Amino acid sequence: MIKAVMVINTQGKPRLAKFYDFLTVDKQQELIRSVFGVLCSRAENVSNFMEADSIFGPDSRLVYKHYATLYFVFVFDTCENELAVLDLIQVFVETLDKCFRNVCELDIVFNYSKLHTILDEIVFGGQVLETSSAEIMKAVEEISKLEASSNSITLVPKTVSGWRNR
Amino acid sequence: MALSSMRGLSVFISDVRNCPNKEQERLRVDKELGNIRTRFKNEKGLTPYEKKKYVWKMLYIYMLGYDVDFGHMEAVSLISAPKYPEKQVGYIVTSCLLNENHDFLRLAINTVRNDIIGRNETFQCLALTMVGNIGGREFAESLAADVQKLLISSSYRPLVRKKAALCLLRLYRKNPDVVNIDGWADRMAQLLDERDLGVLTSSMSLLVALVSNNHEAYWSCLPKCVRVLERLARNQDIPQEYTYYGIPSPWLQVKTMRALQYFPTIEDPNTRRSLFEVLQRILMGTDVVKNVNKNNAAHAVLFEALALVMHLDAEKEMMSQCVALLGKFISVREPNIRYLGLENMTRMLMVAEVQDIIKRHQAQIITSLKDPDISIRRRALDLLYGMCDVSNAKDIVEELLQYLSTADFAMREELSLKAAILAEKFAPDLSWYVDVILQLIDKAGDFVSDDIWFRVVQFVTNNEDLQPYAAAKAREYLDKPAIHETMVKVSSYLLGEFSHLLARRPGSSPKEIFNIIHEKLPTVSTSTIPILLSTYAKILMHTQPPDPELQNQIWAIFNKYESCIDAEIQQRAVEYFALSRKGAALMDILAEMPKFPERQSALIKKAEDAEIDTAEQSAIKLRAQQQTSNALVVTDQCYANGPSPIVPAVGPLTLVKVPSMSGSEEHTAVDQALTQSNGTLTKVDSQPPSDLLGDLLGPLAIEGPPGAAVQSEHSAVTEVEGAPSAVDVAAIVPVGEQTNSVQPIGNINERFNALCLKDSGVLYEDPYIQIGIKAEWQAQHGRLVLFLGNKNTSPLDSVQALILPPAHLKMELSLVPEIIPPRAQVQCPLEVLNLHPSRDVAVLDFSYKFGTNMVNVKLRLPAVLNKFLQPMPVSAEEFFPQWRSLSGPPLKLQEVVRGVRPLPLEEMANLFNSFRLMICPGLDPNPNNLVASATFYSESTRAMLCLIRIETDPADRTQLRMTVASGDPALTFELKEFIKEQLVSIPTAPRGPTTAPPAPPVVQPTSPAMALTDPGAMLAGLL
Repeated sequence: MIKAVMVINTQGKPRLAKFYDFLTVDKQQELIRSVFGVLCSRAENVSNFMEADSIFGPDSRLVYKHYATLYFVFVFDTCENELAVLDLIQVFVETLDKCFRNVCELDIVFNYSKLHTILDEIVFGGQVLETSSAEIMKAVEEISKLEASSNSITLVPKTVSGWRNR
Repeated sequence: MALSSMRGLSVFISDVRNCPNKEQERLRVDKELGNIRTRFKNEKGLTPYEKKKYVWKMLYIYMLGYDVDFGHMEAVSLISAPKYPEKQVGYIVTSCLLNENHDFLRLAINTVRNDIIGRNETFQCLALTMVGNIGGREFAESLAADVQKLLISSSYRPLVRKKAALCLLRLYRKNPDVVNIDGWADRMAQLLDERDLGVLTSSMSLLVALVSNNHEAYWSCLPKCVRVLERLARNQDIPQEYTYYGIPSPWLQVKTMRALQYFPTIEDPNTRRSLFEVLQRILMGTDVVKNVNKNNAAHAVLFEALALVMHLDAEKEMMSQCVALLGKFISVREPNIRYLGLENMTRMLMVAEVQDIIKRHQAQIITSLKDPDISIRRRALDLLYGMCDVSNAKDIVEELLQYLSTADFAMREELSLKAAILAEKFAPDLSWYVDVILQLIDKAGDFVSDDIWFRVVQFVTNNEDLQPYAAAKAREYLDKPAIHETMVKVSSYLLGEFSHLLARRPGSSPKEIFNIIHEKLPTVSTSTIPILLSTYAKILMHTQPPDPELQNQIWAIFNKYESCIDAEIQQRAVEYFALSRKGAALMDILAEMPKFPERQSALIKKAEDAEIDTAEQSAIKLRAQQQTSNALVVTDQCYANGPSPIVPAVGPLTLVKVPSMSGSEEHTAVDQALTQSNGTLTKVDSQPPSDLLGDLLGPLAIEGPPGAAVQSEHSAVTEVEGAPSAVDVAAIVPVGEQTNSVQPIGNINERFNALCLKDSGVLYEDPYIQIGIKAEWQAQHGRLVLFLGNKNTSPLDSVQALILPPAHLKMELSLVPEIIPPRAQVQCPLEVLNLHPSRDVAVLDFSYKFGTNMVNVKLRLPAVLNKFLQPMPVSAEEFFPQWRSLSGPPLKLQEVVRGVRPLPLEEMANLFNSFRLMICPGLDPNPNNLVASATFYSESTRAMLCLIRIETDPADRTQLRMTVASGDPALTFELKEFIKEQLVSIPTAPRGPTTAPPAPPVVQPTSPAMALTDPGAMLAGLL
């Protein structure tokens, strides 16, 4: 089971934090800090795996990927395959890239609600829901259409497809 | 969800980002929270858009690490709003902010349920996502049935069904009862025929969770999993969107192979063949390619395939192929592959046949110890630790020691602990062991726990040949300019005891030794000073003829510390001072420490305990646990380069250099009295009262336990002098209390009971030996393998194993060797044939000799009635005619059983299933009744169908009516009695008169015959 998904920038600021077991705010912040503490000390060109036992308890694994100014971090237990989770991070990022066209940190900061939407279509209650980025996009577009149609005051008439054609 | 940007939200985020410091940020956040709070209070004025905006702001604030402790009620109430945006906001915020135990959630259960059973698919998705993210027992109980319906109905879109699958999984985790195993197994199998890969992926995750708890119920899913894997591997009917960098859904491939690892084996030859074809294709067809993502995905599949091959106990050839692949991986450039290569090689160590092939990669693994990535270095250390045995211990441990000086601090503690354990476990000779530990203390003293140096002292004390060497080494280290305090402790202890053995060497006269140790005194802490004082006293004692100058010097030190504030130091100083004036008496009291009884190393024990603690339900670990020889090393070569650390097999009194008894007559008298009483007491203490019966029935023992003798001697001395710390080397005796006799580790009865339900595990364990068992059952035949593992560094001899079979079993045990070499494991196959039904149990009479200890145990063997059962599903059409045709006794027996251990019905059903009596749901209209069936095999009955009906009383769970029917009167009776025993609360149920083996098995540690003939002692034991 996936225990947590985090997106942290290289300054240590959380950009997304989702824990699939309930934790208090303080605990969440503490974990984010500890993870960042280890991440920032790691060189480039090393493996994407990190010991997480001391942070998340025995048998925890942590896989991360570093893109420009952001770390994408997945924490999970022994029931998942490390490389497969690494693939999942790639799927997540590729999907973001499709949504935002060359996604950068600012997109994520200001559209962070959208980040949630996308993640919810990929990981569901700690389990992998979908691994095809085309299917994820379909679901996300459907939601945005629904919002647009039932929202009488649509302030920004941008839908996902609008973004893509931008 | 909120996909269109919200300007207010963006402004707020900008504001927060522009805050120059944390203080400003807090002010801005507080202001916003205040604003939201007021807006929520007059909720009526809010548009859905505004609500949504505020809620997202709340979530943003929450992510920044501020507690958002209001608006929960508003959020929950939004769930029941009719329109999509409001409902959506309600669900999102609820699932982020609330935990499963929050009171407000109860309010929402009904609304959530309505959304799930309603026809609006978007609402269904929202509700499922929220339930899936929060979980919760209450949700599990009230919603599981509805979620199941969504999953199996093909009229819903895949989008809904895949969410339903994972939602069900989450609810199942919260409460396993929500999935009714019998009903669900078939549905699960159907789900695996799904064409849509999204639904299939989710269903596979669900299956993994289900089989990890109970693989038996889901056998029917096994061939389907293989088919899914074939479909993916051959790329048949895989839509483009599920192909990831050219690989058909790697995720699903991985999950499917994970699910397969929870099935203990694959029996059907066709299924097995197809699976191995797929696996072979994966193993051969994966190459390291340039594209990182493709590489990752391909190797994710490959590594999972490796794990599966390992799990399935493939042919040796395939295993060697796997090791060869791993060997390639650990030297590639890609760090992830290196990391996983090392990790999987560590797992591969569990497969005994390939250990030698792994050893060929030792040099490469040692190189990985210097990898720039600490994650990889750790894996390399784990692997080296795991692959170490007597043949390569020297190389590996020396590598570790060398690495210790350059290793980062984060790893030093682990490194030194592992080096110490390996050195102890596999020392080719003991002087090497002493070298290693002293080097370890020298290089990483801060990370060497007391256990480690205690253990060296213990080894040196027990091995006379080693003493001069150890003393000389200790002396050498003292010459170094700056040494760690632990080194001061261990070297001064060793020199105190054994420096007289060095007397003729240069620089080792008592005076010189004293001076060099005393130089360190000002640098050490109070915990070390008592050890130094003992050393001085010993040096004084060994200086013959006395050297007045040295004497005065040491007395002056004792004098000085007589007023020390630390009680331990003060007492020692006072006592040593007084004693040292006694002349000859000093010699007796300060004589060399007696030998320590052989016992399991505290270190190794710690390491093993840690392994057990972290054990959890993963296939690979389950497998590891089943391997009985975990702590042992399989080796056939007999090692004996160095002196055995174990006391030679001579009479107990010559074991120890006992202080001369000429001092006083009283001394001897008390000593004897104590020895006697101690002997008796030991006997009584060491046996739990329930074992006394077995004790009587066991063969009489002749010799007294040497351990007991040693202890009584020791305590006698202390007693007489009336000052425990006078001799008190006990204060620095390494590790715990002395054990008096050979005690089994773990409860033998529990082990037996557990083995009645599973087919492999540990049957018996004590400090010297571990007996594991692995069994396979086929109709009336059984094949057991006994694994006899010697846990010590000296051989166990006079090993004897005798099978006492009951009348109904024919058993043949292969030859058991008389000697088990140190740290070796011997496998002894045992063939079993069941002649006719009976509940009698076979007994293994096992004995061995360790030193002078003769140990004899009688162990029940888990070749019990239920092992010859085969679960057998029957349909109503088959059941009722059979049931009717078996009318009345003796073929059908009925009994009302009282005093039943109260169990919920499902648990009782599980109990039956675990005894291979298959519960057939739906046959009995009354939900309080259970119907079970199985086929029993024996020579006399051949395959015989057994039918069982249990009628429970919901008002009183302690009684039930049981009806058992079969075509053989003896079988009916025995089966009925067997089930009764299992249901009745007393674990060892009263047995029928035919039952041969008496009482639980008993360890028979050569207790003095006197104890058995003395009714008083026995009575005392019973009380």
